[in-house]
Amino acid sequence: MEFCLFLGCNTPAVRPDVEKAIRASMDELGVDLVDADNYVCCPAFGSFPSTDEDSWLATSGWNLSIAEGKKRDILVQCGSCYSSLRMGREHIMHSDEKRQRVNELLEPTGRTVCGSSRVRHVSEVLYKEITPARIAEKVKISLEGLHGVVQYPCHTLYPSEVVGFEDSPREPKGMRQLVEALGATVDGYSRELQCCGGAGGFMKSTPEQAIEFAKTKFDAILEETKADFIAVSCITCLMHMENVQNTLNKRVGEERYKIPVFDYNQLLALCLGKEQKQVSAICNVSRDKVHQFIANAKVAA
Amino acid sequence: MNPQTEANKDLWKAIYNTGDLQHCFNCSTCISGCPASFGDPPLLVRNLARKVMYGLEEALFEDDTPWACVSCSRCEEMCPMDVKPFEMILHIRQWQASNDETRVPPSIVEIYKRGYTQAVGTNVETRQALGLDPLPIITNNPEQLAMFREMLMKTPVVAANDYMFGG
Repeated sequence: MEFCLFLGCNTPAVRPDVEKAIRASMDELGVDLVDADNYVCCPAFGSFPSTDEDSWLATSGWNLSIAEGKKRDILVQCGSCYSSLRMGREHIMHSDEKRQRVNELLEPTGRTVCGSSRVRHVSEVLYKEITPARIAEKVKISLEGLHGVVQYPCHTLYPSEVVGFEDSPREPKGMRQLVEALGATVDGYSRELQCCGGAGGFMKSTPEQAIEFAKTKFDAILEETKADFIAVSCITCLMHMENVQNTLNKRVGEERYKIPVFDYNQLLALCLGKEQKQVSAICNVSRDKVHQFIANAKVAA
Repeated sequence: MNPQTEANKDLWKAIYNTGDLQHCFNCSTCISGCPASFGDPPLLVRNLARKVMYGLEEALFEDDTPWACVSCSRCEEMCPMDVKPFEMILHIRQWQASNDETRVPPSIVEIYKRGYTQAVGTNVETRQALGLDPLPIITNNPEQLAMFREMLMKTPVVAANDYMFGG
């Protein structure tokens, strides 16, 4: 299996340990990755997709053309990048007029886009191609004894017609099965499918309400589960679900919200025996308990 | 103001010229579960659809709520009439930004200048400590970056606001 890796902006710039985790795990699982050289912003929905279709689709086309040149599908972790590239590709593929216009804009740059490369989310590749069963065989360290909850990236669920890969977008199973493959128990809860609320303008325009909105999710996790960690698969979910917990603690005046948040690839890399200081080095909510559990399991193994 | 006399009946053609919007029967499924519907003021997607269809141009032009959308696209999934509400929100933003330069998102200037919204590639030491190689980013490739900018110069938002992109 081989892919063209599209990292976007936040992962390499703010959370490069997630990038390291993806590279290390994929290598171990026999997936070959090459970088998307000279890639640009996906483009984020708040940028060109909010100004005009030419700049939006030309930027999507620029990125898609890189993978097409390498004859590979694109592999993405960030939810927004994934959805933006999928939607951009959908527009380009389903309208001859739009495809022609994008190629007109790309032509002086020596690029073309025809739609030969698909856009794949890392959780889809792990779930549907590599499969939880094979992951369970490969892991060296088990999380048995730990409880986790999962956060599905909205951008991999909706609209299912364009971005989906779950058998049912109303009842997704991928993240649960992937975490279970690492040996952990996954607790369900009432607000499992509620968006983290971290993307777009919600947090910027009405932070008070956005924090209250996130609080309902964390309260449900605390009341309904025994979660030792939250597994996400989107860089925005990762950063937002950490930051909001710290904000909430300041408000309530106690350390009530302190559930460590991991990108799934980080948990996977740790269970494959990769170095914690490389694949899980950066966090804003302490991961010490989970790291210690894994370190102990490593010694026992 | 009397909305009937002030209305621009062709507004929907300027904003979201698909047949999709005609099917909206105002059911509010797009609001149920929408994160930004909890905002203040709330993003009420259904109301935006009404403003577009009724041609309430002035009210829609002043409306900031389309920019609070988190892009989760839940409304796109759940809409029983396949109106594609998220696409509609993007089209309202496009219409506002193309008629009001103060709506042009600063992030596009960042993307034009360095390829990304974040300063990708400046965290050299952190990356080294994690055992990561430098990324082949466009910021470090003047020839490719110049081509990317030239391409964008031909698109409406950059051509119409070229003063923002100088230097």
